[in-house]
Amino acid sequence: MANLFIAVALAAAFVRLFMSSTIIELRNVSKTYSTAAGDFTALKKVNMKIEAGEFVGIVGKSGAGKSTLLNMINGVDQLTSGEVLVAERADGEKISIHEMSEDQRALWRGLKMGVVYQSFQLLPMLTLIENITLPMDLSGNFKPRESKERAMQLLQLVELEEHANKLPAFISGGQQQRVAIARALANDPPILVADEPTGSLDSITADHIFDVFEQLVSDQKKTIIMVTHDTGLVSRFSRNLTIADGELVDTEMDSQLDKTIRRRK
Amino acid sequence: MKTPSLRAKLKTGPVQVTDFASESMIELRGIVKRFSNAAGEFTVLKGVDLTINRGEFVSIVGKSGSGKSTLLNMITGIDHPTEGQVVVNATDIYTGVTESQRSKWRGKNLGIVFQFFQLLPMLTLLENVMLPMDYVDLYDFDERPERAMELLKLVGLEKFADKLPVLVSTGQQQLAAIARAMACDPPLLVADEPTGNLDSRSADTIIQLFELFVSQGKTIVMVTHDPSLTSRTHRNIILSDGELINETISRSLPQLRHRHMLEFTRIAEEREYQPNETIISRDQHVDHFFMIREGEVEVVLHEQEKQEFVLSHLHSGEFFGEIELLRGGKAIASVRAGSKPVKVLTLPRADFLRVMQESPITAEAIGKIVQEKLEVQETGRQVNR
Repeated sequence: MANLFIAVALAAAFVRLFMSSTIIELRNVSKTYSTAAGDFTALKKVNMKIEAGEFVGIVGKSGAGKSTLLNMINGVDQLTSGEVLVAERADGEKISIHEMSEDQRALWRGLKMGVVYQSFQLLPMLTLIENITLPMDLSGNFKPRESKERAMQLLQLVELEEHANKLPAFISGGQQQRVAIARALANDPPILVADEPTGSLDSITADHIFDVFEQLVSDQKKTIIMVTHDTGLVSRFSRNLTIADGELVDTEMDSQLDKTIRRRK
Repeated sequence: MKTPSLRAKLKTGPVQVTDFASESMIELRGIVKRFSNAAGEFTVLKGVDLTINRGEFVSIVGKSGSGKSTLLNMITGIDHPTEGQVVVNATDIYTGVTESQRSKWRGKNLGIVFQFFQLLPMLTLLENVMLPMDYVDLYDFDERPERAMELLKLVGLEKFADKLPVLVSTGQQQLAAIARAMACDPPLLVADEPTGNLDSRSADTIIQLFELFVSQGKTIVMVTHDPSLTSRTHRNIILSDGELINETISRSLPQLRHRHMLEFTRIAEEREYQPNETIISRDQHVDHFFMIREGEVEVVLHEQEKQEFVLSHLHSGEFFGEIELLRGGKAIASVRAGSKPVKVLTLPRADFLRVMQESPITAEAIGKIVQEKLEVQETGRQVNR
């Protein structure tokens, strides 16, 4: 009876944890690289929670650990210790992505996460629409006709539908990045992860890219995690995490998170 | 079931051309490219004719805005010429071809490498390399991972096959992009500033790899700014203001500014001489500067006894007539064609002298060559006496 009680209490705790729609939770995540010069700790016991629907900026100087943190969140790189818990909405079960097999993780990433980078752009020999249908064709989640329709919708979303049959060389850098965002959304992932997506763009173009991200959060309820060194952007995130020397320096993280949740309620 | 329909589509696509030399890989015929924008019309390529043979390793250089990348885009079929014809691997790539047919054709016939490697971030390096094979449906499905692995081995990345691009260095990303470009074993590799973003060691690895491909019979055309690369290619094509510089001129007078090379390209005349035909006679006035395009010439000294002896042989990329032009006066030696026909480019005296005045570096370089030639001549005379 007591056991049952504990089980129910535990279940309730999990439900609280994940029904409050925490979409990603990092617990004591550390990452140490071994180099010829010795060990280098890029992340030191990082704890953080990201709620569904947040637009989180990870800000910090070059070398602070921003990209390493992002690579932990999306399971691209192996962590040294700690857990990265990702939960499917209501099912309550916690899964650490670093305990998944390589294949499971790739599958999970493919379904749950879109990625946008500063310098990985589009395949130059494919038209814009082909670039977007590619991930759908690879995942096999869509029939060819569906994937084409969906790609067109995504191009509409980033306002590039009239250029659908052009090759990337014929549109501007900012437009290419918008297509890259559309491509990241191809399999309709709930989470979008972006590493310096505006890093090589001028400020007006960067502004347009931000508009697209904001729209994705407000209209499509996507969760977006973005790494940037541009502190001028911090006012546009729903929450900022500052990282320095591998540690989150924002000691008020939890209270800020509470505020964010309250505001949304 | 998908494959036959694709093949059928290809059949109605690119047209094989018949008037195409079998040794050519690329022929650009009268290529003009005009862009229109709000500011008006702008001609980027002004009638470019260019033949690149199979197995050649060619670099294309030129100042920013000279039209290099546009030229490359004509060869890859990424951009369309306003006028002219582009024939690649015996196929006219712009006549009667839809974008998607061209894209399939491209997948089988050429590999492309850009400065910013377009690897897909959500795929491992191995998967990235397999992509073109999937795209054009080449190689047996089960064979593809193995072939991709071989290519990764070739570029030294087999250890990283299962890593995502973000976890390897930029040099390694570029190597993976090259492996991907070679996935379908294309006869032609086209690269736009392939080392532009890399440190010199990574750049060197990439050039060694290109040299390997060339030794295997591939044709490589590469746009670059990097002089350490151009020195390793067979041919160096210079674009200036949308026009090709005559390669005989750029080889003979490499120190010239591009605008002067272009000026010479426009005014130079080609002449052909039969074997042993005299080009310059001793004691005659010389009124042209001569650059050898093809063949070999003999510089001949005559002594009083009417005995003659051959002082030196000059070859393609060398020049003559400069001593007389710079010092004024008559020829101090005769020059005649060797045992085979000779093609030379000539420049009128006045134009040559004017440009030498405007280009001190070239004048100095030529001055040195003149000095050497005069020394050889003097030694020759003494030995002969």
